[in-house]
Amino acid sequence: MKTVLKKSITFIFTVLLVTFFVFIAFELIPGDAATARLGTNATPEALAKLREELGLTRPFFVRYFSWLASFFFGDMGTSYSYGVSVRSMLAQKLPITLTLTLMSFILTVAVSIPIGLLTSKYEDRAVSTVLDVTGQLTMSVPPFFLGILVTYIFGMILHMFTPGGFVSYNVNFVRFIGYLVFPAISIALPKAAMSTKLLKTSILSERNLDYVRSAYSRGNSTMDVLYKHVLKNAIIPVITFLGMTLADIVAGSLVIEQVFSIPGYGRLLISSIANRDYPVVQAIIAIIAMIVIIINLLVDILYRVLDPRLRDM
Amino acid sequence: MLNVTDLHIEIEDSFIPETVVHDFDITVSAGEIVGIVGESGSGKSMSALAIAGLLSRKDMKKRGSILFEGEELLTTPRSRLRQIQGDDIAVVFQEPMTSLNPVKKIGWQVEEALRIHSDLPDDELKKAAIRMLKDVELDDAENIYDKYPHELSGGMRQRVMIAAALICDPKLLIADEPTTALDVTIQAQIIELLKRINREKGTAILFISHDLSVIRSLCSRVVVMNKGRIVESGSVEEVFNNPKEEYTKHLIGSIPGFTKIAHVTQSENTDKILEVDNVSARYKKITGYFQIGSKQKLVVKNASFTMYKGEIMGLVGESGSGKTTLGKTILGMLDDTEGRIVHYSQRPQMIFQDPYGSLNPTKTIGWILEEPLRINTDYDKEKRSARAKEMLSLVGLDESYLSRKPNALSGGQRQRVCIALALMMDPKLIIADEPVSALDVTVQEQVINLLVKLNKELGISILFISHDLKVVYELCSRIIVMKDGVIVEQGTDKEIYDNPKDPYTKQLLLSAGYTD
Repeated sequence: MKTVLKKSITFIFTVLLVTFFVFIAFELIPGDAATARLGTNATPEALAKLREELGLTRPFFVRYFSWLASFFFGDMGTSYSYGVSVRSMLAQKLPITLTLTLMSFILTVAVSIPIGLLTSKYEDRAVSTVLDVTGQLTMSVPPFFLGILVTYIFGMILHMFTPGGFVSYNVNFVRFIGYLVFPAISIALPKAAMSTKLLKTSILSERNLDYVRSAYSRGNSTMDVLYKHVLKNAIIPVITFLGMTLADIVAGSLVIEQVFSIPGYGRLLISSIANRDYPVVQAIIAIIAMIVIIINLLVDILYRVLDPRLRDM
Repeated sequence: MLNVTDLHIEIEDSFIPETVVHDFDITVSAGEIVGIVGESGSGKSMSALAIAGLLSRKDMKKRGSILFEGEELLTTPRSRLRQIQGDDIAVVFQEPMTSLNPVKKIGWQVEEALRIHSDLPDDELKKAAIRMLKDVELDDAENIYDKYPHELSGGMRQRVMIAAALICDPKLLIADEPTTALDVTIQAQIIELLKRINREKGTAILFISHDLSVIRSLCSRVVVMNKGRIVESGSVEEVFNNPKEEYTKHLIGSIPGFTKIAHVTQSENTDKILEVDNVSARYKKITGYFQIGSKQKLVVKNASFTMYKGEIMGLVGESGSGKTTLGKTILGMLDDTEGRIVHYSQRPQMIFQDPYGSLNPTKTIGWILEEPLRINTDYDKEKRSARAKEMLSLVGLDESYLSRKPNALSGGQRQRVCIALALMMDPKLIIADEPVSALDVTVQEQVINLLVKLNKELGISILFISHDLKVVYELCSRIIVMKDGVIVEQGTDKEIYDNPKDPYTKQLLLSAGYTD
């Protein structure tokens, strides 16, 4: 109960801090929504008029807290550039970015755990070395470059998908998923390589512990020792890593959306920053922060399920 | 039942094969308790693990014969070996703290061997596990069944390990230093438990220990090992009363057996060196953002005593009694303390229990020894190094050790370095926190003699913190007994040992086997 309260406080503080810093950042960088919309040739009168209309003349804290208050009640304001409700714009794009993030995360887990087990099991065989080297290579490639590589190999050569041929979820869900698989691979591979390596090292060090010897002394086979005893212990540091990786995956998906021309939050965020479209930027950043925190909360709960020693803390 | 002949164990490490066990022979008949005794590195645990089929590392080569009930275990396939492991041969290990899987419930681990070796349904397994837990004198068995290892004390965990080992009613129980990590009173209970199991169920026990007095009280026959070889074997009476080999004589001679090291006399000096007046210490537990320190645990409660110059004073208690905390409090290492501590000397020093963890493994001994001088004095390099050399030779190590790193040293050598380190600032008071507990008996004796020498020659007063009443008896002239953070009794050695007033002191003496 205490933990839930603690986490909720963290949640609120983080969202407050993140949005506040974004507000400050926009104060500091030159240019505003009015100059962005009217261009450099606009008359000072026209600029002043637009600023008045957009509410930019109000003091900084008034603007921040009025934004915060309306955000709290679900009103994210109106986009300066498009003149439509930010909420409806984002609601439409949320499933795209969320699906990409979740697919990347699931892929990371689904790839790294079996391979981690495999490499630790055959640590002194050739297959393990091959996987180790592949992992090392994958780890050192930045996701956007991997994205270009994936586009080239799977799109241009193998024709498994049409680069740039994104289909939205409300048009054809199967093709939507089919298209997102490839950007998800680009995001997930480096992360999967890291968590594979972590799981392997973790398993190998767990195997030297005393309880493993006890398990063998009761007549367990090597497989049983691995699955019934070692795995649950070895997975704990990997969960920590995956939790931290999630923020990375969200950030990675913003970049990858550019590479694969996916109309998700990433592209919207970049164009909105260029247009000084504060309401959109604020809302996207607040939502991403919330997603990251919620998933971290889930990881924390998972921790306590896995490790009884943490339950009393 | 068990017949081991000519067992050799070789480690093929870094191209040079090293034989760690030579010509090992042992027989254990049904229902018998046989002991293997030796110091660390003697190969006793290695031999026992080989018998249990637990030495399967690829770089270990085994030769010879291990016959168990007529079956050759060295050549038997793994699948057959697994049928024997846990069912006919079971093992209890030294470290109850780490030998249980931390993320699995006690019940699950106790029933594991039975689950592997039988087809019993879950409810039958549970019944058997609870029966077994009760059998090892864990009264609250139903409750413990659903607990996790970290919720139990060391003694309870060792009982759980024994229950897990005995659940299939094995013919042979291999107990590898099962009491070494436990407090004396708990040690005595575990030994009694093993005796009872042997008597009631007829389980044969192969008991491995470095502790000769434990072996003596439990076993009928004993094998003495040194450097991978059997030095001597025979019945316990024969070996203990009439040892033939030099090494055995030396080993038996090193057992602290409630004998005073002759030249320790009570200090007649009445100059105080330390006054502790009504001191309490607590640990804060951070429980949340807004409740820092709301849960406090009082670890030392209203302790008062006085130490005089040139005295060796014993501070006795079991783990969790607060004796280490009191030591740290005296040196000002803790923040949240109350009461008055008056030092009549400068720069008192502390020596810690674990000589392995106390020295930075990446630095040379010279660097480590000079550190206090670098921080506290303006001595130049030459002066510092001269002092380090001098202190090393005082603790019996030559100057070649200056350039070595801690890993290249044995436990006893490391503890000497720790003592030299404490001496660097020329203290008049040393607090030694279990300085010999992690060491072998023969090495223990050397370190104790060294402390006595420092006391006699340099006049250093020592507050000797220990759980071992025999060692304390050897060198202390006055003794403080602590339990649950409270000093229950203090007095001269005669008063404490021959006329204990507090029931806890009496119990401690009884567990340690002290008879007037």
